[in-house]
Amino acid sequence: MEVKLLEYDDNHVRFVLKGSNPAFANALRRIMIAEVPTLAIDEVVFLENTSILFDEIIAHRLALIPLKVDPEFIDAARHEPSKYEVRFYLDVEAKDSPLVVYSGDLKTDDPHVRPVSDLIPIVKLIPGQKLVLEAYARIGIGRDHAKWSPVSACAYKYMPIINIDHSRCSLCGNCVKYCPRQVLSMEKDRVVIKDPLACTLCKYCETVCPNDAIRVRGDDTTFIFNVESTGSLPPDFIVLEAAKILKEKCETFLKLLKEIREEHT
Amino acid sequence: MKKTGNEMEFELEGEGHTFCNVLRKELLNDPNVEYAAYRIDHPLVGVPVFYVRTKGKDPIEALIDATNRIRKSTEEFMEKFKKAVSEYRK
Repeated sequence: MEVKLLEYDDNHVRFVLKGSNPAFANALRRIMIAEVPTLAIDEVVFLENTSILFDEIIAHRLALIPLKVDPEFIDAARHEPSKYEVRFYLDVEAKDSPLVVYSGDLKTDDPHVRPVSDLIPIVKLIPGQKLVLEAYARIGIGRDHAKWSPVSACAYKYMPIINIDHSRCSLCGNCVKYCPRQVLSMEKDRVVIKDPLACTLCKYCETVCPNDAIRVRGDDTTFIFNVESTGSLPPDFIVLEAAKILKEKCETFLKLLKEIREEHT
Repeated sequence: MKKTGNEMEFELEGEGHTFCNVLRKELLNDPNVEYAAYRIDHPLVGVPVFYVRTKGKDPIEALIDATNRIRKSTEEFMEKFKKAVSEYRK
């Protein structure tokens, strides 16, 4: 097994996983989406709402605001999620002119937690309208509600294997022209693979080739992962946490199996 | 759970495709396992029912070995990923 990072920044990571199998890659992907815990608003108490939106719509909008959390906090909270609760409060009134309430207006006493962006609109108020509420953020997982999912895009694709049979190629240039990702390019006397990682395995080049000279297939032991965080947790932490959760699943299952083995002997 | 000789059928409550599919794949890598499969009756409420049949080996042992292999490759992945991140940061 080999891992190589292609891109990495505050919000996303792209890496190649070599020498694995689809089942393992898929387990990682599924855990990242549905089982890595984050913090999200889970309960809202409305003290006053004279805005145009109903309480439940505002509560739903608040829940979907990604909250930036300390990764260590998440790791510690995973085993007893009910112990952690962060209180937010909001108190806005439009006085003389219309006013948009943004996620940045949410205040909290906890210095470790804040919305990922302060510019997410919640509701627009006209003069005289008022919104006063208290919200409680809790730890949860994406399987229960998508608001707890730490990733937005999280997917993998097989490593493309592109074969060009130069003896059959007539240099018509169709594959170069029609490739939607500009994977191929034409050099003096041959078609070359310029950027294999960009290939989406659409096989359009195969279709447009008049001589059947190009073949594209996926390598199901090598995966290109693309993990995009919502901003609530660092992307590399999400990947490692997913692996950790998979390992814990194995350990729990092993424990159960050993108990069963003892019962049977 | 049911177990007879080299066959075993059991429910995996609290799990879904995430773990069952890796387990199934890993079991099939064992030359002593003849058959391994699972089903989930309903995507919302179903509990996975797992079935293993071996060529003589105790199915529990086959399951333990397969789970250990998954654990090992997960550990390997974590190690390699951490190394890749620190190399990228340099």
